[in-house]
Amino acid sequence: MSKEITVGIADMKFTRMEGRLITYALGSCVGVCLYDPVAKIGAMVHIMLPKKLENGGDGNVYKFADTGIRATVRKMEVFGAVKRRITAKIAGGAKMFDIPGGGALGNIGQRNVESVRQTLKEESIPILSENVGANYARTLIFDCSNGQGNIRSFGRKEVIF
Amino acid sequence: MKINKYEEMNAFAIDMLREIGSIGTGNAATALSTTLSAKISMSLPEVKIMGYNQVIDFLGGPEKIVSAVLVHMTGAFSGIMLYLLDIDFVNIVFERLSLDKIEHFDEIDEIRASAIAEVSNIIISSYANAVSQLSSIPINLSVPAMAINMLGGIMSVPMSEYGYVTDTIMIVDGKFIYNGGEMTSNLIMLPDIKSLNFLLNKLGVFNE
Repeated sequence: MSKEITVGIADMKFTRMEGRLITYALGSCVGVCLYDPVAKIGAMVHIMLPKKLENGGDGNVYKFADTGIRATVRKMEVFGAVKRRITAKIAGGAKMFDIPGGGALGNIGQRNVESVRQTLKEESIPILSENVGANYARTLIFDCSNGQGNIRSFGRKEVIF
Repeated sequence: MKINKYEEMNAFAIDMLREIGSIGTGNAATALSTTLSAKISMSLPEVKIMGYNQVIDFLGGPEKIVSAVLVHMTGAFSGIMLYLLDIDFVNIVFERLSLDKIEHFDEIDEIRASAIAEVSNIIISSYANAVSQLSSIPINLSVPAMAINMLGGIMSVPMSEYGYVTDTIMIVDGKFIYNGGEMTSNLIMLPDIKSLNFLLNKLGVFNE
């Protein structure tokens, strides 16, 4: 059994060669797995909101899609990953409640997913697969030895992606 | 005086919120007693201010399956009310309504789901009503939305709603007691910072 590393909310963890990164119950949040298959460096960031505000104060960079992904890529590069080899897998961004009449934050999940896609595109990181949207929470597991993702959810079959 | 973050509240303000929570929970317990024709009492609510990951662990862990009903408060007092029910609580409701119990949440059918939604709605409304009367601030409630899923995913909704303002979440949490045992449910009222200031001001917390 390889080691398991838990990634909290608005948090990022990475590992090399072996180990599984896991983040529990992504709702409207999005889990982004970044992987350099040659160096076998894998990282997972659990973002909550689409974009950091201009004067967002101190704050935690991993809370936001744009700053979170960029900070994660920089960290990976420091540890020997090469940016043009990095690929991404993303999961989450659900709409947990079907709120009648929408509401400003009714579809924060979708906005998170869009911001993640946009940021990855700007960084020229290809998305290999995604499992996003719908209305249920996902637990995301990413195996850094082979780059395989796994999704566990309530009342549904486990998905490999 | 004005607060910018939940953690800036002093002991007096927290006491005031506990009092409000206590009146709200009391009212909700009475309404629940009437609905289920059973004797329901309550415990003294707690006011807790915690970080994201902490709050989820406190409520039972991210992958715990709960039934949740969410209502938006709008108007002068805005924010979210969230009512979370455990399977044991849900089964007490079914027992009192002469429905068969369930073992897991995935066995839930339409009748049971609407029974839970109805009971949750009654509890939320009576809680909000009590707070509104006490503070003489009108509170408008949106149509309730329901979800049965992992706790972590459900809590991500209020967290992202306040994510730009604060890294912590405040919960005023009261418990119900039935037949001597605690019914595990959490009624969480999350006013936004502006409304919290308005409420505390109105109740005279800042006038010392």
